[in-house]
Amino acid sequence: MTALSGLRVIDATDGVAGGYCARLLAGLGADVIKVQRPVVGSTLRRAGPFLHDIPHAETSALQLHLGAGTRSITLDVDMVTGAALLLRLLDTADVFVTGPELQHPALRPDALAKGRPELIVTSITPFGASGPRAQWLATDIVANAAGGYLAMTGDPDREPVKPYGKQAAYQAGLHSALGIVAALMVREGGGDGQHVDVSVAEASSFLTGGALARAHVFGRQSVRNGTRPVGLPPEYLYPSVIRPCADGYVYVHRHNRFPDLLAAVLQEPRLAAPDVLAQPLGHADETDALLDGWLASRDKWRAVEEAQEARLPFTEVLDPGEVVEDRLGQLTAREFFVEVDSPAVEGLRALGAPMRMTATPWITRRAPLLGEHNAEIYAGELDITRRSLARLAAAGVI
Amino acid sequence: MKPLDGVRVIDLTVAIAGPVATSLLADLGAEVIRIEPPFPRPLHVDIAPPVAGAPDRPYNRIVSYNDLHRGKRALTLDLSKPPGREVLLRLVAISDVLVENMAPRVMPSLGIGYESLCASRRDIVMVSMPAFGATGPLRERVSYGPGIDAMSGLAHLTGYADRGPMQPANYYCDYNAGALSALATVAALRHRARTGEGQHVELAMLEGELQVVGEALLDYEMNGRVQQRTGNAHPSMSPHGVYPCAGDDRWIAIACENDEQWVRLCSVIGQPQLAGDARFADVLSRMHHRRDVDAVVAAWTRTQDVYEAEAALQSAGVPASAAALISELFEDPQLSSREFVRLVEHPEAGWLPHTRAAFTMSSSDARSNRHAPLYGQDTDYVLRDLLGYSADEVRELEDTHVTARQP
Repeated sequence: MTALSGLRVIDATDGVAGGYCARLLAGLGADVIKVQRPVVGSTLRRAGPFLHDIPHAETSALQLHLGAGTRSITLDVDMVTGAALLLRLLDTADVFVTGPELQHPALRPDALAKGRPELIVTSITPFGASGPRAQWLATDIVANAAGGYLAMTGDPDREPVKPYGKQAAYQAGLHSALGIVAALMVREGGGDGQHVDVSVAEASSFLTGGALARAHVFGRQSVRNGTRPVGLPPEYLYPSVIRPCADGYVYVHRHNRFPDLLAAVLQEPRLAAPDVLAQPLGHADETDALLDGWLASRDKWRAVEEAQEARLPFTEVLDPGEVVEDRLGQLTAREFFVEVDSPAVEGLRALGAPMRMTATPWITRRAPLLGEHNAEIYAGELDITRRSLARLAAAGVI
Repeated sequence: MKPLDGVRVIDLTVAIAGPVATSLLADLGAEVIRIEPPFPRPLHVDIAPPVAGAPDRPYNRIVSYNDLHRGKRALTLDLSKPPGREVLLRLVAISDVLVENMAPRVMPSLGIGYESLCASRRDIVMVSMPAFGATGPLRERVSYGPGIDAMSGLAHLTGYADRGPMQPANYYCDYNAGALSALATVAALRHRARTGEGQHVELAMLEGELQVVGEALLDYEMNGRVQQRTGNAHPSMSPHGVYPCAGDDRWIAIACENDEQWVRLCSVIGQPQLAGDARFADVLSRMHHRRDVDAVVAAWTRTQDVYEAEAALQSAGVPASAAALISELFEDPQLSSREFVRLVEHPEAGWLPHTRAAFTMSSSDARSNRHAPLYGQDTDYVLRDLLGYSADEVRELEDTHVTARQP
């Protein structure tokens, strides 16, 4: 049995936030049906990167990653027949996940709530479904800017820089999944379904954690500070920083309980001097210079090994290839990557579980082909005849 | 009705990731009881000024503590002493969840590993949040959240194309792991409600973070390509970036997802003729002339007030936002309308901002209005009301320094 056994989720969203939400719910065992446009599929299928860089709806890395474990049907919900079919499908569902791209009035959260009190409707929109900016547009970088997180990342002498990829969307997807299981607890505790209204910009604001309190109490802004701690006074702990070594970069952190341990390991007594320990962050430049001297003669593996032997929390800055190659053997020992039988990419190893649960296993399955489950769901579950299906396909509805 | 009404959570967490997980559970309605060691709360540098008329106890005014532990109760307990362990196990017997994020060896060494907890409460949900996992060659390695940004590939991928790696600011990994753990906890509670079965959940922070760089890992798996930093550039959008505005250090993020938005942008910046310029005709041409596009956009933004530019672009249907400063989030009309921040009064630290997760629920107020606990605040509530210790027994626990009401 899985954690979300028996839960059926219909996901009509297009992007990474809904995609990651779907991956999480499917991994936890829900039956997640992704509704996508006929022929072209979702943005995830068009985003790449692609196998051998040849664009193809079945070989986009984003789709292979986020589609894992879901079922796929095609449906043009902008057509009247398509919207009607989606409503039929929703009669079988516990959860509906939707985004700004669905404009049909019958599919709006308030309309759905009327006829289907038990349905949990989750909308994922850039700024949330309510408020003066509910209709504003955003991509990930824009949502990060609005949420306050963008201004915190970057070097002081350059423009703010966004986190890699689609981090606001990933976090919004995670919060969506949390909101959905929370609403499920209410419903299975005897309550009704409800509208979970997710804002991607708020997911970015969530990442600023602590900065709002510091601004409120001390009037202190948290502005970008390279890889050093952000928005904190000279007395704050240091080092916590990425520095170059002989062959790359190392993340360097002191031992919080034994701040002078760093000086001993590096044999740099200055790092334990009273004025440095009184204002560690205030001595960041001087500290970095001493760190650089020690790191220059070591590659990242050796530097981290020596530091970790002394219980200093140093880590190697790894590139994605080094993560996958797993020289340290951790992911291999834990069998994190799982070979899935992908018809689109031979021998593909998919990412495994974000969490491991002893009673309810995470489900790792390959991502579906576009429309792979059309017959299974339309004919098998909604009792639509093969002839009607052929007609719908010819009309471009599915 | 709150999603986790009637759920009791024991919170043995430290640092940031664990407290984020339990504060989310408190927001969802769980009663979260922190068990804190009987030595002073680590005295951070962020002590709020005293409140007039309130006792001057700096350890109750640590801003980061009060932020991370909003919504929770607290009891001080020395788990290294047998009577302390007994209190904990008696509390386990009447609780639903225990969350901890210590190194994997710590809980078993205190005699409170998963098996011991089960002996007190057969269907307990235990949630552990080690950095790398309780198994594998790195199980004993120590790391904070930013150190995991380094090992997940996220730091390598974030930053300027011509500079070194950069982890996303603040504590990305901790907030990610905290929310994932909250999700796993609620999922485990759902399973328990249906089957009566508890379990042990393990959220290795590294494995949680690899999820958000999945496309880069699969790019290497499929193509052997090691992705590099590209700053604010986007693989298939132009313009896409962060542009300077008038004033000191003000920036606006602008992205055109399609040609239509580019045409609208040209009109907003008063250069409609650029829409017909062959260099910028479609996204491929604009990508090819990315520097020219960015120069055109920046020449306009430089003369604009950041919020006026944002309003002009959004009114025309172009995705844009000021890079909001933290202090501005309090006044942000959208966040205010959705009450993302709510001020809650703390008896010794004054009014403090409480945020919430990134969603609202139409019929559940998914946030806690309880202020962070004072030191030892809930000693009597837990020992007397919940566990039925007598006044004499409570006094003895204090006299023997198993519990404490002040550091």
